[in-house]
Amino acid sequence: MFTLYGYFDSIMEGTWVTLNLALSSLGVAVLLGILGALGKLSNSRPLRSITLAYTTIIRGIPDLVLMLLIFYGGQMLVNNLAFALGYEEYVDINPFIAGVGTIGFIFGAYMAETFRGAIMAVSKGQLEAGASFGMTRLQVFIRILVPQMIRYALPSFGNNWLVMIKATAIVSVIGLDDMVRKAGIAAGATRKPFTFYLFVAFNYLIFTTVSTYILAWAERRYSIGERRA
Amino acid sequence: MKKDTIKALMSNQAIAISVEDLHKSFGNLEVLKGVSISANKGEVVSMLGSSGSGKSTILRCLTFLDVPDKGKIVVGDEEIHLKTKRNGMVVPRDHKQVERVRSKLSMIFQQFNLWSHMTIQDNVIEAPVHVLKQTKKEAREKARFYLDKVGIYDKKDAYPSHLSGGQQQRAAIARALAMEPEAMLFDEPTSALDPELVGEVLKVMHDLAEEGRTMIVVTHEIGFAKEVSSKTIFLNEGRIEEEGPPKEIFENPKSERFRQFLASSYET
Repeated sequence: MFTLYGYFDSIMEGTWVTLNLALSSLGVAVLLGILGALGKLSNSRPLRSITLAYTTIIRGIPDLVLMLLIFYGGQMLVNNLAFALGYEEYVDINPFIAGVGTIGFIFGAYMAETFRGAIMAVSKGQLEAGASFGMTRLQVFIRILVPQMIRYALPSFGNNWLVMIKATAIVSVIGLDDMVRKAGIAAGATRKPFTFYLFVAFNYLIFTTVSTYILAWAERRYSIGERRA
Repeated sequence: MKKDTIKALMSNQAIAISVEDLHKSFGNLEVLKGVSISANKGEVVSMLGSSGSGKSTILRCLTFLDVPDKGKIVVGDEEIHLKTKRNGMVVPRDHKQVERVRSKLSMIFQQFNLWSHMTIQDNVIEAPVHVLKQTKKEAREKARFYLDKVGIYDKKDAYPSHLSGGQQQRAAIARALAMEPEAMLFDEPTSALDPELVGEVLKVMHDLAEEGRTMIVVTHEIGFAKEVSSKTIFLNEGRIEEEGPPKEIFENPKSERFRQFLASSYET
């Protein structure tokens, strides 16, 4: 039977962590991305400055450095804050939450650029038509802007998602038991690194291949009504 | 009080839309330099003018797609008040009121602006369902009626990009009609159409005028203005240069500008 020297279950647990991490981070990234895009396109100068700083700084620093900075720096910040507020015990940040927060925060900046481009690609007349019939701003956003921008956002969104799934591997350095860390432990114990890392590589490939198919389907779905180029 | 206003009161006609002393600048460019127009219920007002004369901007100001810098706009019995923000921007005082007024005026755009991700039928029922809160069933029945009226009910399940320009503009007119508006605003409805498709759209508009709908039509179609409208306005450089019943002003243009405009239009 296929047991990977007894480490199969352990690595599958790690795979489950990776999947959860990727999907949760995606949620955070999409939310921050939409807020970032709206901020960048808003009329308010302070909002534009904040979002510009966010996307410029985050996209300009390596993911690993940011991860270490946010995880260890964040840990210290939280503890200093807690101490200042009179809380004596050491606060340990849950590595899963730290991972989701960090990856979501990093990829939110990329998503913001993706969504900003997509919003700008929707023709102004489509939105004006909505407004001219008395739709509220929220209705125009939800009923017209979002369904039309998805089509423009999907190619770049898919790209970000694939990069993000792979970027989850770096959480192993902050001690989160994702599949890379589990494989590392197994490889160390059995001295069979090739077997375990190949298995993990194969798992990533399954995730990304399935994603590619789902994205292709979504692109077809949201191109309905558009002329084929 | 304006001459038109007095006339309307005397003839006991209700005013559907009136605009007084409308000003609008884009940056340093003053597009409207104090324009006053009014349309009585059931009247067809056509606005002519060379490009850049500000005629489309008037319609955009009426629906607040562009906010006027100054001016009194009354739709039905509601005046829309403006306010100046601290940073100098002029905005409507009450956005809810603007939404309400917009739902009573339906705009037809030069570029049609049908929502490209919806079928023709969904385009027509969208605003009635989400703005007027009609049930889908009710809205679909109305959609059927109005799509039939403009002659494209058979295209109800098609997407806009699969229709010709003339069919798209007729669908856009059906979408506007489905709101059962108090007035319809046409912003150069035939300018983006191939010449052989202009006729089918003008015919629909002709029929609507005969039904007694209130319409303000910005157009280059002099023939339409002449035959269909009850009042024609000629704009030049942000001001009204000439206005009156088409019979009078086309036969005896007082303004030299308007005479030139007509002469150059007939040549082409």
